[in-house]
Amino acid sequence: MAEEFASAPHFVGARIPRTEDSRLLRGEAQYLDDIQIPNLLEMAFVRSPYAAARILSVDSSAAWNIPGVRAVFTFADMPFVLPQNGPSPIDQPVLARERVRHAGEAVVAVVAESRYIAEDACEAVHVAYTPEEPVLDMQAAQKDRPRRVHDAAPNVFYHQEYETEGFQAAFDTAPHRLTMTFQTTRQTACSLETRGIIAAADPFSGRMTVYCGTQSPHRLRGDLAEMLQMEEHLLRVIVPEVGGAFGMKAATYPEYLAVVQAARLLRQPVKWTADRVESFLSDVHARDDIHDLEVAFDQRGQIIAVKDHLMADGGAYASYPFSGAIGETSLAAKVITGPYDIAHLSTVIDCTYSNKVPLGAYRGVWGPVASFVQEGMVDRIAQFLHLDAAEVRRTNLVQPNQLPYRNAAGMLYDSGSFTESFEHALAQLDYTRWRATQEQARRVGKYLGIGLSNFVEPTAMASSEAGSIGYESCSVRVEPSGTVTAWLGLGPSGQGHETTMAQVLADQLGVDLEHIVVLHGDTDAAPLGGGTGGSRSGPLGGGAAMQAGRKMRERLDVYAAHMLEAAVEDIAWEHGRAHVRGVYARHVSLRDIARIAYNDVRQIPSGLPIGLEVTERYQPPRPVSFSNGTHAAVVEVNPSTGQVTVLDYVVVNDCGTLINPLIVEGQIHGGVAQGVGAALLESLVYDDSGQLLTTTLMDYLLPSAPLVPRMRIEHLVTPSDGALGVKGMGEGSLIASPAAIAGAVNDALSPWGVSFERLPIAPRDIVTSLGRSSAAPV
Amino acid sequence: MKPAHFEYFRAATIGEAVDKLGGDPEARLLAGGQSLIPAMNFRVARPSQLIDINGLEELKPLVARLPENILEVGALVRHQQIATSPLVQRYLPFMATVALSIGHWAIRSRGSVGGSLCHADPAAEWPAFMVAAGAEMVVAGPQKYRRIPADTFCSGFMETALGPGEMLVKIEIPLAQGGWGFWEVARRPGDFALAGAVCRRHHSRTTVTWFGADLSGPGTVTVESEGGAGHGTHFWEDAASRVLAVDDDYMLQILGYCADQACRQAQSDEGRDYDNR
Ligand SMILES: Cc1cc2nc3c(=O)[nH]c(=O)nc-3n(C[C@H](O)[C@H](O)[C@H](O)COP(=O)(O)OP(=O)(O)OC[C@H]3O[C@@H](n4cnc5c(N)ncnc54)[C@H](O)[C@@H]3O)c2cc1C
Repeated sequence: MAEEFASAPHFVGARIPRTEDSRLLRGEAQYLDDIQIPNLLEMAFVRSPYAAARILSVDSSAAWNIPGVRAVFTFADMPFVLPQNGPSPIDQPVLARERVRHAGEAVVAVVAESRYIAEDACEAVHVAYTPEEPVLDMQAAQKDRPRRVHDAAPNVFYHQEYETEGFQAAFDTAPHRLTMTFQTTRQTACSLETRGIIAAADPFSGRMTVYCGTQSPHRLRGDLAEMLQMEEHLLRVIVPEVGGAFGMKAATYPEYLAVVQAARLLRQPVKWTADRVESFLSDVHARDDIHDLEVAFDQRGQIIAVKDHLMADGGAYASYPFSGAIGETSLAAKVITGPYDIAHLSTVIDCTYSNKVPLGAYRGVWGPVASFVQEGMVDRIAQFLHLDAAEVRRTNLVQPNQLPYRNAAGMLYDSGSFTESFEHALAQLDYTRWRATQEQARRVGKYLGIGLSNFVEPTAMASSEAGSIGYESCSVRVEPSGTVTAWLGLGPSGQGHETTMAQVLADQLGVDLEHIVVLHGDTDAAPLGGGTGGSRSGPLGGGAAMQAGRKMRERLDVYAAHMLEAAVEDIAWEHGRAHVRGVYARHVSLRDIARIAYNDVRQIPSGLPIGLEVTERYQPPRPVSFSNGTHAAVVEVNPSTGQVTVLDYVVVNDCGTLINPLIVEGQIHGGVAQGVGAALLESLVYDDSGQLLTTTLMDYLLPSAPLVPRMRIEHLVTPSDGALGVKGMGEGSLIASPAAIAGAVNDALSPWGVSFERLPIAPRDIVTSLGRSSAAPV
Repeated sequence: MKPAHFEYFRAATIGEAVDKLGGDPEARLLAGGQSLIPAMNFRVARPSQLIDINGLEELKPLVARLPENILEVGALVRHQQIATSPLVQRYLPFMATVALSIGHWAIRSRGSVGGSLCHADPAAEWPAFMVAAGAEMVVAGPQKYRRIPADTFCSGFMETALGPGEMLVKIEIPLAQGGWGFWEVARRPGDFALAGAVCRRHHSRTTVTWFGADLSGPGTVTVESEGGAGHGTHFWEDAASRVLAVDDDYMLQILGYCADQACRQAQSDEGRDYDNR
């Protein structure tokens, strides 16, 4: 790995404050809604009040009469669809076509001179519906009950089965078996900045500029071109500052097509920004899963075989391009054994349509669900055998000498520190002391619990919600003045890529950070790349930056050797200056080289091209690289009110080489915060008629600052064999944390024999499950 | 999420505000806007006219009228003012504790005591506190002023005893003796409470006033007993089930729990001395 650094690493691994923070913290960043364009029109949508209905008629005459209204569109005016050519044959129309299939589905688009007028006009549009019985229960839906969501297709749109050889015999002959059903409730990413888009045609060139907070700028451009039958080179996508995305903004949404098409038809710029209610009703949802599980094990708690029926409610359409239902289940089925050495696995997957918002990606996708199932299963085994929860984990963890390890589903864990991270977490937490404290506390009627969560995190995969581009790209240009501009195909939304990618480049080029600027998110400038999602930006983007930086460096070395009359091998770089190794007096600056490369081209060493520009694409050696780690939580549960307080929280994280520990820790803090939400607070609740009841932040409870625990973080470093040894780490913290917190709550309630297999665990659930006694039975 | 069309009028005097209000049944007063504006943005509230009362100095006093043993709180006094006022600290520190459990700082800085009372959300703290304190509301109407005792002011779920064209001007809170206690359960700090209780103890009299999302307004029960406050959760749960129209077990349990916690606080508070005693 060391030889991959052209210079001794000064920047990779350093705790460098983020370049982005200055503008973000000063409130100077420009988000979509801050963009000012003359004559900008605003779009608003009439959305379905029914979960399922036939559209009888749309009367928009009153809306047209409101001054300031410029257009009222239905599907007939923009007959476009988001196609599904994968396993699901059902397209998603831009505006509802004859039927509505979830409450909140866009039916009519109004364009007006202001959002106020547009909303007035939405109220004036009269849509007549005949309500139909909604499909809301995923298990009934599997049998096409009460009916099909789409007449043309059965409700089950994805079915898979998998079994290891010899599974049945191993399962049948195991000493013990337990059955359990795990369930997660619908959540959504709930980014602080809602979704939005602006489309503005350039009347001179005939090109269309689209501003959108997407995670995959190039993919969005391709999607718009394909779906709206436009020429790709006449489209430009610019991603402004993005206030959170979390996978949710990776999708291409119907509203995006509607806005771009409206701008084409009206020949005037059009904007739509979602309000919070619209966000809840139209951003992809996530985590609507059930796992019917049977586990077979021996008297030591060694797990022999796992059998899992994975179900997910995919909502009304398979979200484009990534169905969250398929993503959550198919990936969970591949890593449901986590970091445990389990020989036999049998999985069945069923993803179904329903009359709910489509399921898409949310940070961790399959992971938070699978980890909750996997750790819940281990805890149930420990409880059943009256063994310590840590002991049962030790018994099952993949041992160092088993690595690289192929799990029962066929996934290869390339490297990791499973036992080490677990032991470090126990030590950091002081597990034995907390167990003693827990004992004492119970005697005085206080209920503490300890939750342990070992996780694996598949990262840098060829395909994710960001798309199916298995590489990332980086262009580097040394400017004539000797400063450096780099572009990547990424689509960050707060991860700090401008800092981390500059760190990688700085080490490759031997220049200082302040002389590098990293740009992204403009398809006119950035090289075509895959975007940000699936924990790919660090390993793939970092790889591309490394490769482009190194390529540039090789060229610069030739220049320097030529100018200093030395051998290429003897050239060393520091602070933007090349010198002959050991002889600091003989040096030449990047600026001098750049001058020759652009302005004095006859002096260019023979064989080198004019200028200093390179574009490189990096594809990792493996299709997936595994990060891992352990979370441990201590909580106190008040049995009278059901309130849960997190008392202590420890994270041991291994994502290979750390580009910037500060940023890695920031990612972890956020993931644990979201884990608190997943375990205790957040749920999207539908009523019996398919109405979403939680459409404001008063009803959909996000973790607020006082609920986020202080946490202690330790890093282990098991490098990958990819570029720089970097592994992805964007999702692991949210993969592990819900399981840790839920496990701790269950542990606290163990005197009652209560164990929750459904998230989130709400205070009411706790109090109700304890019956009328708030003191534990003895 | 934009409001429907409305007219805006900034009142210069109470008389002007009351006139406007009386002349248009669809008009609404605008105080801190922390309840009204969100409702308008959802288009749940669609006033024809907003009468902004934020310029009215007569609604802003926060004074102790010592001869009468009364704390006078203008309708426009903000929650955060109550939380930080040295005067409140001196004469009725318990009120500051209650104020701090309302929403978040930003909301407290704008939201007003009068706005909260007139909005009459059953989960709000001030209506219950005012009932427990035996406060009186001073109300200006089209013709005259009148006084309404706190226990009849909030008359039901988001309903008040205010008549057409009437507005709340100030609240008079007696600086009475005894111990205070307060407890509430919310899903997250700063959220509206699921349930809560205010407790007052004086000699052998213990009074608990509940508030909570499932209730129709503050509900009070008074217990005379020689002993301590230690009736326990179950006692208060039973009391709550008799006084309040709640049959949800979980709610009853936390109503009981809040009352018990509030009573324990009131008991230890009773021994303390304040300047007014
Ligand atoms: C996120 C959030 C959390 C909150 N949490 C809490 C909480 O925990 N506890 C709590 O109690 N409150 C909470 N609130 C509400 C807050 O306290 C409001 O300030 C209060 O309910 C209304 O006060 P206001 O001054 O903002 O009134 P406004 O919103 O301006 O008015 C509310 C209503 O009262 C009427 N009104 C106002 N003043 C008068 C007057 N002088 N005479 C007659 N009518 C009048 C208005 O016409 C309107 O109908 C929360 C609000 C938010 C947004």
